[in-house]
Amino acid sequence: MALYPDYPVLTERLRLRPFTRGDVEAVYAYRRREDVAVYLFDVALSREECALAVQQRIGQVALEANDDKIILAVDEQATGQLIGEVSLIWRSVEARQCELGWIFNPDHHGKGFATEAARALLDLAFGPGDMHRAMARCDARNLASSRLMERLGMRREAHFREHSIVKGEWDEEFIYAILRREWQGRADGGAGR
Amino acid sequence: MANSILPVQTDRLILRTFERGDIEGVSAYHALPTVQRYVFSRTRDRSEVAAALNIMRGHVSLQRPGDTLTLAMVRLGDQQIIGHVSLHWSDATAGQGEIRFVINPSYSGQGYANEAISALLDLAFDHYRIHRIFTRCDGRNHHSIKLLQQMGMRLEAHYREHALFQGEWDEELHFAVLDREWQRSAKVKDLPPRHRVA
Repeated sequence: MALYPDYPVLTERLRLRPFTRGDVEAVYAYRRREDVAVYLFDVALSREECALAVQQRIGQVALEANDDKIILAVDEQATGQLIGEVSLIWRSVEARQCELGWIFNPDHHGKGFATEAARALLDLAFGPGDMHRAMARCDARNLASSRLMERLGMRREAHFREHSIVKGEWDEEFIYAILRREWQGRADGGAGR
Repeated sequence: MANSILPVQTDRLILRTFERGDIEGVSAYHALPTVQRYVFSRTRDRSEVAAALNIMRGHVSLQRPGDTLTLAMVRLGDQQIIGHVSLHWSDATAGQGEIRFVINPSYSGQGYANEAISALLDLAFDHYRIHRIFTRCDGRNHHSIKLLQQMGMRLEAHYREHALFQGEWDEELHFAVLDREWQRSAKVKDLPPRHRVA
């Protein structure tokens, strides 16, 4: 079953919507930062690289086949400002598996925006997306991200040590996951919305 | 790389590459339902076993990432093939390898798998200079789980319903050990007595 969400996706304080050309500066504001890049596979991006990334994301709005991605800009409704991005990747059509991701501008950390956006993403994945399981990964040192996943009720399913080299160093990685029935059984899960 | 290190001899086993004449020995265990339940490729009848043997006969050395070395476990006394072990070189940059193993259930519970896997890990770390070895096993496969824990491998992943396997939701465990951990734990310390090993 393909997924063509209705945009924008609204939460209490946020608006998730496809990227547009005008988003380059707002994306550059956080993707240029070393403290953002440190836990990503990408290094800090130049303005040109951000422009390219945004260009690519404009078309990443639906899931039709394995490895398709939806990548959305997250605006704070009150200010209209772009504060981060979330992603939903279809890892297996057959087994209904998806991977979630998020990157937020540190200037807006600590207000629960990432949690709010990730909840909307899980609702999308398990509701109209009909996924069976959603997983996400993070660097083992990235406490903000692992705590966020635990808040969402995701279970730590993997802790890999020195399983690959990222940016010239041994990588240590967590994988978290949650099943559809687990998400829908939660008070903050998709059942009530 | 030349195979000067092969065959490998352990206390009770010879580990050697497969030969054409091994079809009888492999047929004795590979098509058993208890084995089929957990293996990736189907080998339910003699022609499928023959095809599997053909592939395994090609697994003679690790020369580049993606290569696999598969060794028959041959009992020293009666020359019986009681299973096989394999080492897959999955990543050169990060020195990663994956092992798999199959043992004829008639011979399980006597420490043969432990003996063969230990020798394979020695080979992986000492000869092939692998940094980390991991292995995957089905969440229901309690014999393998117990064996890997006893060998000092660490449970690094427990995936639930992450894929479909043989038409059902799969539950998969990953165990791993690093080169420095293996040299410290397995050779020096207290492996459980052989008769207790699954």
